Amino acid sequence: MSDHNQNALFSSYNRKPNLFDEVFDDNGTVKAIYEKLITLFGQHALDDYVHLNNKAKASFFNQGITFQVYGDKTAQEKIFPFDLFPRIIDTADWEKIESGVIQRNRALNLFLWDIYHEKKIIKDQIVPLSLLSSSVNYLHQMHEVDPPGGIYNHISGTDIIKHSDGKYYVLEDNIRCPSGVSYVVCNRTALKRALFGVFNHYEAHAVTNYAENLLQILESVKPHGVDNPNCVVITPGMYNSAYYEHSYLAKAMGVELVEGRDLFVENDFVYMKTIKGPERVDVIYRRVDDLFMDPLEFKPDSSLGVPGLFAAYRKGNVCLANAPGTGAADDKAIYTYVPDIIKYYLGEEPILNNVKTYRCDRPDDLKYVLENVDKLVVKPVDEAGGYGISIGNRLTKEEIKAVQNQVKESPRKYVAQPILSLSVHPTYIDENQSFEPRHIDLRTFTLLGKDTEFVLKGGLTRVALKAGNLIVNSSQGGGSKDTWVVKKDS
Amino acid sequence: MSLTYTIRYHSKNHYENPAKGASWQFLIIPEDNRSQQLIDWNVVNSLATASNVSINGLGFKTIRIQANQTFTDLEIEATFIVQKEELNPFDFIPNTDPSLDYALIKTLDFRADHETELRKTRFTTLPAQHRAIFSFDRKKNVFENLRMLNTWVYHHLFFKVGVTDVNTPLEEIIMKRHGVCQDFTHLFLAISRQNNLPARYVSGYLHQGNGYFGDSQMHAWVEAFVPNGGWIGFDPTNNILAAQNHIKVCHGIDYHDCAPIKGVVYADGRNTTAHIVEVIASQQ
Repeated sequence: MSDHNQNALFSSYNRKPNLFDEVFDDNGTVKAIYEKLITLFGQHALDDYVHLNNKAKASFFNQGITFQVYGDKTAQEKIFPFDLFPRIIDTADWEKIESGVIQRNRALNLFLWDIYHEKKIIKDQIVPLSLLSSSVNYLHQMHEVDPPGGIYNHISGTDIIKHSDGKYYVLEDNIRCPSGVSYVVCNRTALKRALFGVFNHYEAHAVTNYAENLLQILESVKPHGVDNPNCVVITPGMYNSAYYEHSYLAKAMGVELVEGRDLFVENDFVYMKTIKGPERVDVIYRRVDDLFMDPLEFKPDSSLGVPGLFAAYRKGNVCLANAPGTGAADDKAIYTYVPDIIKYYLGEEPILNNVKTYRCDRPDDLKYVLENVDKLVVKPVDEAGGYGISIGNRLTKEEIKAVQNQVKESPRKYVAQPILSLSVHPTYIDENQSFEPRHIDLRTFTLLGKDTEFVLKGGLTRVALKAGNLIVNSSQGGGSKDTWVVKKDS
Repeated sequence: MSLTYTIRYHSKNHYENPAKGASWQFLIIPEDNRSQQLIDWNVVNSLATASNVSINGLGFKTIRIQANQTFTDLEIEATFIVQKEELNPFDFIPNTDPSLDYALIKTLDFRADHETELRKTRFTTLPAQHRAIFSFDRKKNVFENLRMLNTWVYHHLFFKVGVTDVNTPLEEIIMKRHGVCQDFTHLFLAISRQNNLPARYVSGYLHQGNGYFGDSQMHAWVEAFVPNGGWIGFDPTNNILAAQNHIKVCHGIDYHDCAPIKGVVYADGRNTTAHIVEVIASQQ
C-alpha cells in the first residue's frame, strides 16, 4: 500500500506510471519535499479543499485579474483558473534553473549585440546568415545602435519543462514582451489568504520583490546624464489581453502607466502629458510590439505608438526595454542554436537542455518532419501563445495532410520537436471532484540590467487542465499554480 | 567644376475633415557626402509651428512638424542650397578578371556585411516565374553587368505617370511594363539582389536641365555595390549613371524606407497630397 492512499485527499489519485510525477515517486511514495504538504493537506476533507479553492478563485474575480482570448468572438474576460495545490521546487533544482536561465539570457544578449554590429557569429559560421535575412524581427534600423547599458533583453520569460527523464528542458526564450508575472504574485496572494497555515510551514522565497527589481533594472539603463530617471510602462490599452499585468506592474513600481497618446516627442526627447505640463520620460518599459511603437519609423498605421520615439531612442535620450529588434533572437529557428550561442559567447556548456528541434528549412530535417508529422509537435517559428501548434498524435489523417502541405509550402516558417512528456502534478479537477495528474511547465522571469541581473525565485507553473493536454497556455485553456522555491529542503 | 543647386520642395496636403493634431516627417534634406554639401537651407510651413530636425532610423536627417491645433491643410516649402562636385562614376579600376568579382560577393563576410542590401522585401522580390528575367553574364565583371541591367530596365519599362502607386506589386509592374522612377528602381533592385549583388534604393532630386524623366518630383535611383568601386549610382529611369545631376537625400532597403513624407494625422476621411520640386543650377 502506497503512502498517498492513506490520505483522504489523494486516496483516489491515479498516478500514471509512464509519466514523471512531481509529487509521487515511481512507488507512489510522496517525495521528501512534499511530505509536510501532503500531511497538512491530509488533515482536511475534500469538501474543505473545494471550499477553499472556490474562495481563492473568487479572490481573482474580485481583484479583476482576467485575460482575453484572441480569435474567440464570444468570450470576453476570463479568469485564469487557479489550483490551490502548490508546486514546490527544491534548492538543487532551483540553483540549476536560476543559473541556467541567466546563462541563456546573457548569451542571447551578446548574440543580439553581435547581430546588430559585426555579425561575428554569422561570419564564423555558427549561425547561418539566412536566419537573419529571413527574420521579420531583425530590424535594420538597429544596426550600430548601442542600447543603454548594452542590454537588449532586459525582461525575459524563459519557459521550462521537466521531461519524463527528470531533466529540465527549455521550451522557449520569450524575450519580446513576456507576460505572466502578475499572476505569480496574485497566485501567492490567493494561496496565502486561503492556506496561510500551510504556507508558513515552508520557508519559500517571496515573489513580491519582482516589481522593485524591475524598477532597479530599468533605472540601471537610464540615458546618459540622467540622475533620477523617470520610468513609465506603456501599454497598447485596456483591450490588450495583458492589460491587468501592465497596470499591476506600473502600480507596484510606483510609476505611470501610459498609452501612446499620453506621450509625445519633441526635439528627440520624450515627454508625458500631465496636468502640470510636460514631464520628461527617460526609461520606457514597453508592452507594445516593435512594429507598433513608432508610426513614423515602422507600421505607419499604428495608433498605439509614439511618433518620433525611435529617433529619440537612437539618439540615446530614452531607453526602451526590451530594446527594439530583440525579437530577432526569439524565434523558434534561432532557439535551436541557443546551445551553440552559449558556447560561442560564454565558452560554457549550457546548464539547461534544449529540446531536440528539427528545422524545416534544412532538407534532411524537412524530409524527417514530413514523414513523421504524427510523432512530432510542429510549431510556426514566429507565433506566441500556443497558436498554430499541431501535436502529431492528436491529428486525424486529413489534419496530418494539411500540416504536411503547410510545412512544404513555407519550410522556413516551421520547426518540429519530439512530443515531450511534460511532468505531471496533482491538480484538483472540478468536474470530477478529485485530484488528478495534469501536465505542467514553468515560466521563469529573468531581468538583465547594466551590470546586474535578477531571477524571480518562483515562477508561473502553468497547468493543462484537460486530461492529457500538453499545451499549458492560458489562451488554450490552461490554469496555474503557486510555485514555491524553498530556502532549504526539509 | 562644381555646381551650386537651389532646390525648392513644395508640398500641399489637404484633409477632407478638420484634423485635431498630427506629426509629420519629411525626408527631403540633401545629405552631405563626398560629392555634395548642404550649404544652407530653410523651411516654412503653413501652420507656423516649429520644424525640428531629427535623425531617422537609418541615419538620415528629417524635418519633423507637429500640429496641435485643428487644421485642414498643411503646406510646406523648403529651400536647399547644395554644392555638388563633378562626379565620374568610372573613376576606379575594375577587376580585369571578372571571376574575382564573383568570388568576392560569394564570401560569407561580404554577404553578412551587406545583409540589408541583399534582403528581398515585398517590393524587391522577383515573382517566381520571373526569377531569370535578367541574369548576370559571369564573363563580364559586375560593373558591366549593372550597366547592362540599367539599360535593360530602361527598355523593359515605359515611363508613365499615374498608372502605379507606391504599393503596386512588382509582378504587376513587370507584366504591364510601365511605371515611374520608384518602379524602375524596385525592378533594378530586385534583379540585382536576385543575382546576389547588394543594391539600395536612393531618393533625391534630379537636376531637370537635361530633359530627363523624374524632374518636377522627387526622383529615385539605385546605388549598387561595385567591387573596387564601392556604391555607384544607376538611374534606370533615364539609362544613365548617377553623377552631378543627382542630388541624394537618403537610401534604404526600398521605397518605404525613403518615403519623402510620413505622417500620423488624427482625422477621419480622405486626404490628398502632392508635391512639386524645382532644381536650378548655377556654376561657380
